[in-house]
Amino acid sequence: MDTADFANLLVSALLLAGIYAAMSVGMTIVYGVMKIVNLAHAGFLMLGAYFVLELYESWNVDPLAGSLLAFPLFLLAGMLVHWLLVKRIPVSDQPTLASLLLMFGLWLVLQNIGYLVWGNSDRSILTTRTLSSLHVGPITIPTVRLMVFIPAVCSLLLLEFVLRKTWYGRAVRALMQNRYAGRLAGIPVEKMARLTFGVGIGFAGAAGGLLAQLYSFSPDFGHGFLLRSFVIIVLGGLESFWGAAAGALVLALVETFSILVLPAGYQPAIAFSLLVLALILLPGGIAGIFAKKQRWA
Amino acid sequence: MMGWIKTGKEMSMKWISALAAAGLLLAGLWAPGATSNSAATAKDIPIGVVLPLTGREAKPGQYQKEGIDLAIKQINEKGGVFVRELNQKLPLREVFYDDGSDQAKSAGLAARAMSSDNVVAVLGGYSTALGEAESVMPDRYQTPWITTGAAATSIFDRGYQWIFGTLSPVDLLGYTTAEFLGSLVDAGKLHKGLNVALALENTDHGVDYGNGIKKWIQEHGGYFAVVFSESFDLGSPDFSGLLQKVKNAHADIYLADAHLQDYITMHRQYVQAGMHHTMISYGARGPETDARKALGDATDYIFAGIWWSKNLPYPQVKRFVEDYKGFTGREPDSWYAATAYEAARGLAAAIEKGGTLKKATIRDELRKLELRESLLPGQVLRFGKGGQVDTPFVIVQNKPGGKVDLVYPKDGANGEAVVPPASQK
Repeated sequence: MDTADFANLLVSALLLAGIYAAMSVGMTIVYGVMKIVNLAHAGFLMLGAYFVLELYESWNVDPLAGSLLAFPLFLLAGMLVHWLLVKRIPVSDQPTLASLLLMFGLWLVLQNIGYLVWGNSDRSILTTRTLSSLHVGPITIPTVRLMVFIPAVCSLLLLEFVLRKTWYGRAVRALMQNRYAGRLAGIPVEKMARLTFGVGIGFAGAAGGLLAQLYSFSPDFGHGFLLRSFVIIVLGGLESFWGAAAGALVLALVETFSILVLPAGYQPAIAFSLLVLALILLPGGIAGIFAKKQRWA
Repeated sequence: MMGWIKTGKEMSMKWISALAAAGLLLAGLWAPGATSNSAATAKDIPIGVVLPLTGREAKPGQYQKEGIDLAIKQINEKGGVFVRELNQKLPLREVFYDDGSDQAKSAGLAARAMSSDNVVAVLGGYSTALGEAESVMPDRYQTPWITTGAAATSIFDRGYQWIFGTLSPVDLLGYTTAEFLGSLVDAGKLHKGLNVALALENTDHGVDYGNGIKKWIQEHGGYFAVVFSESFDLGSPDFSGLLQKVKNAHADIYLADAHLQDYITMHRQYVQAGMHHTMISYGARGPETDARKALGDATDYIFAGIWWSKNLPYPQVKRFVEDYKGFTGREPDSWYAATAYEAARGLAAAIEKGGTLKKATIRDELRKLELRESLLPGQVLRFGKGGQVDTPFVIVQNKPGGKVDLVYPKDGANGEAVVPPASQK
């Protein structure tokens, strides 16, 4: 493999990592604050994809703008879901069976709503960007992947800013560290949980819109991404946003470059192997390593 | 007194127990004759249909169900199937289950149709993976099963006695694909000695497809050489690594064996990576409407080896296309509906020929079946050894403007195979 091939694969892996990070950050934030493994995440990814498609087909709204519009709408939808369903689950410091079953059931309901409304056709968004590429020397960059990568990374940076610089962000981080101490410090836990669940769903909807520009989709959309999201957040350390971003990068790099030495058919085994390795060797994920280093320093 | 009452209760209990036991015994004794008993009073012929209407195989599953529904509708409009031992015509009744594209569910639902629903036969099993899962049930429940969408030879090589399939073996698909490319060499449209890259789905379908291509190439030395062959995972979100390896292989022809979603994703990334090959195929996928909508002009000149085409020059095919259009409001999308339609017709013919609803007789009649005026290439539906049909494949090629031409074999072609110049790809 020459340098150009290596550079092309590296660019592919980076672009893929951006997409992986955007799709898993919503799950991370919900888990971090509420200790809920949001299995319905895939359902909201799917609804986000259809939302952007409908905007594009009905009003010719650019899919990137559609993805941005998806965020507030899905945030409100997430808050509604929390108010209707999620708040009824007993609060716990660990994921509970009740929460897993509820979110799994919700995913099935969303899928079936998808089938009722849109049928089972494979839908896609075809724009002038879809099949075009940028050529930087020997490196080929698919335009649509770049255009999806940029907002994905920007949204992560914005989230990081919000978490560091706003009262809401500090409250979220406090609740992630210790829910009870947060309550004693005067944080309105219920209100924060509702808003955070909304933010998580908002990210899922926007990520679905971004993914819709890259893949064809049906109401079944999101299955494969859900598994990868799990791997990413476990790799990242479950409750860390930058850990999730690092996890996304590791998964994308390993998936992309392992193909050079292994047949492409082993790709799912790679994701599963990473999950197992992370659980055994890195129970605190990548974020755990950084935390240890900080303590030693 | 009390003792008598107690004794009476005990007596009653004994009588109830004895009656229940007798009832169970009678039910048990009558169970083997249940089919003939129900046949004696049958008002219809229950047929199980297990196909995916949801999940990743939903669209082809829907097309296959439409084909079966149309056949059943047409048969019932003529009064149904004549069952000689009952001396009457009975309508077909479909017992449908959506397997959600899930292997375990597919096998479970086939078993349920064969046992609880006591259907006379089951149709279904779209895609090799789902068909393989269902294929273990027919012998267990001694119920004929005709797969309408699974073609891997591994399904039919296991010595099962109750399974049939309306798709020709996938290795024949690979063989026909290479044969078609060879015909382009003979016609002077391609050079001899071109290099071929293969990307195969990691199922028995993919293995058979690759074997078929390699077999033809071995038998016809000097035409082509396989310089790259690798399997890939179905449903992968990213094929960039695989495509990079294909690119590095510097092949002239790219042949992939993919399902619809993978075809769309892979070809999108193929175009984005700026790749070019003289000829491209995604196995049995190519002309599907969803793919052409998703990829636009980028699907032009892709060719596919398929089990049936609406362009076949048979009068019964034209009738089927019209009927299907009247039934669903659109023309058949690729081959999916036709093979399912033929499975339902073949089953009805076997029941009528056997003159009974006994499953073993239906199975025996399916083995001997020779359905003339079939829609399939060759116009005869006949299940070969192992239960699988052996009809030839046809090659279709996408052309600009959403057109799809049947280009091979020559005698049935309605268009010329085109080797596009690089600028048009």
